[in-house]
Amino acid sequence: MINALDPQNMNNFSEASVSVEIETEDMTLNIGPQHPSTHGVLRLVAKVDGEKVHDVKPVLGYMHRGYEKLAEVRTYPQITTLVNRIDWVAGFSNEIPFIAGAERLMEIEVPERAKHIRLILTEMARISSHFVFNGAYALEVGALTPIFYAMEDRERVLDLIESVTGGRFHPNFNRIGGVKPAAGAGPTSKKNIQDLPAGFYRDTKVAMEKVIEAADQFQNLIGGNEVFKKRTKNVGVLTAETAEAYGVSGPILRASGVKSDLRTQTDYLPYDQFDYDIPVGENGDCYDRWDVRVKEMVESAKIVLQAIDSMPSGPLQAKVPKVIKVPKGRTYVRAENPKGEMGYYIISDGGLGPYRLKVRTASFSNVSILPIMLEGALLPDLIAIMGSLDFVLGDVDR
Amino acid sequence: MEEFFNNIKESFKDAVLEFETINIKVGSTEWIEAHKKLRDEFNLKFFSWLSAVDWDNDVSVGEAPKESVSPCFEIITCLSDLANTNLITVSTSIDKSDPKIDSLIEVYAGANWHEREAHEMFGINFENHPNLEKLYLPDGYEGNPMLKSFELISREVKPWPGDVDVEGMPEESESDETPDD
Repeated sequence: MINALDPQNMNNFSEASVSVEIETEDMTLNIGPQHPSTHGVLRLVAKVDGEKVHDVKPVLGYMHRGYEKLAEVRTYPQITTLVNRIDWVAGFSNEIPFIAGAERLMEIEVPERAKHIRLILTEMARISSHFVFNGAYALEVGALTPIFYAMEDRERVLDLIESVTGGRFHPNFNRIGGVKPAAGAGPTSKKNIQDLPAGFYRDTKVAMEKVIEAADQFQNLIGGNEVFKKRTKNVGVLTAETAEAYGVSGPILRASGVKSDLRTQTDYLPYDQFDYDIPVGENGDCYDRWDVRVKEMVESAKIVLQAIDSMPSGPLQAKVPKVIKVPKGRTYVRAENPKGEMGYYIISDGGLGPYRLKVRTASFSNVSILPIMLEGALLPDLIAIMGSLDFVLGDVDR
Repeated sequence: MEEFFNNIKESFKDAVLEFETINIKVGSTEWIEAHKKLRDEFNLKFFSWLSAVDWDNDVSVGEAPKESVSPCFEIITCLSDLANTNLITVSTSIDKSDPKIDSLIEVYAGANWHEREAHEMFGINFENHPNLEKLYLPDGYEGNPMLKSFELISREVKPWPGDVDVEGMPEESESDETPDD
């Protein structure tokens, strides 16, 4: 009888078990649409060979609301309410390129003060979007703590947005020609207009310094964590060439080493008046995508602090007709949103609403890269890679 | 912008610069060639989007064009250069009775999903597309929702309450007084 516990016999046992050929078959794995880490309702159908994933097929449309069709039966001021809901994590920044497009076609010069208020609120929307990413992404790769800090810190920024616009997620604050008077403002007769609530500058300064502190804290808490580094470094590497051909934009593109930021390249808002850096990654992996976003939060906070110091005085609204009719023409306006390039292509026929409105959203193109990035990845990395793209399904499906 | 426009104009005679957006019209047979040229010679490597427009005089939703148009599908792509501000839209017209055009995937891989979307929404066939399935709509869905002839059912059942606001508005008054003064 062979003694199984005798170390001399052990080798034989292990060799015997390895030499047996097992017929294996790829398993089809269905992820979503209700998986918590899909940020909405994205479904992935993946083939799994052991721990390796291949042939990933994203299935979209669970949140398709048909904005492009709905826009054809609405007037320009009504469309602002709609587009708020595309990327609901940063509702304010969705309005900007649409309003800017209509203003460009109508040849309206927006007052400087209105532009500054827009800029401040856009940057706050960016900060709150990146807070959500910081909390959610850490959660997805297994760290529970950061989301509590992130949500608490985001609340401070949302409170500020609410104090000005009256809404936390869907401000609907922009008007063609400027912005509306603030929700918390005093009497709004034409002679004595108060556009920002009392104490706004003071509260903003406090909140922005907290944002810079929080980003620093995240660098230690998340970025300094060995487990987080192991799970994200050299995982899901995306090259600049692939990103470009697929129209991947925003922090994901910058993490791959491309220094491209529409805030400096276009003039939809007066970013040229401020001093800030554009963080760029080196390797294009999950860690860099996280890192770029944390650094961007600090830069955004710096922009807001500069903007409240140099706030120009003057009117909030340019003179516009009561019934808004946009002259015949077509234009494309794009903006750097928290998730990447968002743009509206407006074809106007001189009516009350657009003849055709094409909505270009960042997450749509960003998600289209998933099948390439996930080809041959390990199953545990699937969530890490997916989370690092920071998409919102409202922004994918429209 | 101006300099880039002049360069484009040398290669594409009928390029127009309108509202800070450059648009060039090409024939549907030169679709692939034009994009290859723009990518390689003008360095427009970033594929932003592709979409279509349904031009028709007879519409069931929205407003009909004010001047009569010849019915066709217009396909538009948007390309840009990441290193600077250069941006261009390219458009072509195709016949509605036989809506087909070559797929751009060999030039820009990112055109894949955009073409699938245009296929289901407008019924345009992109030839040589490897996987021209529905993107958003469920299997078995009939019709192409973005066509101007496709009715918006909710609007048929109940008129849009917002219409009241728009139509009841007076034209802009001469005086600039506010009621609460």
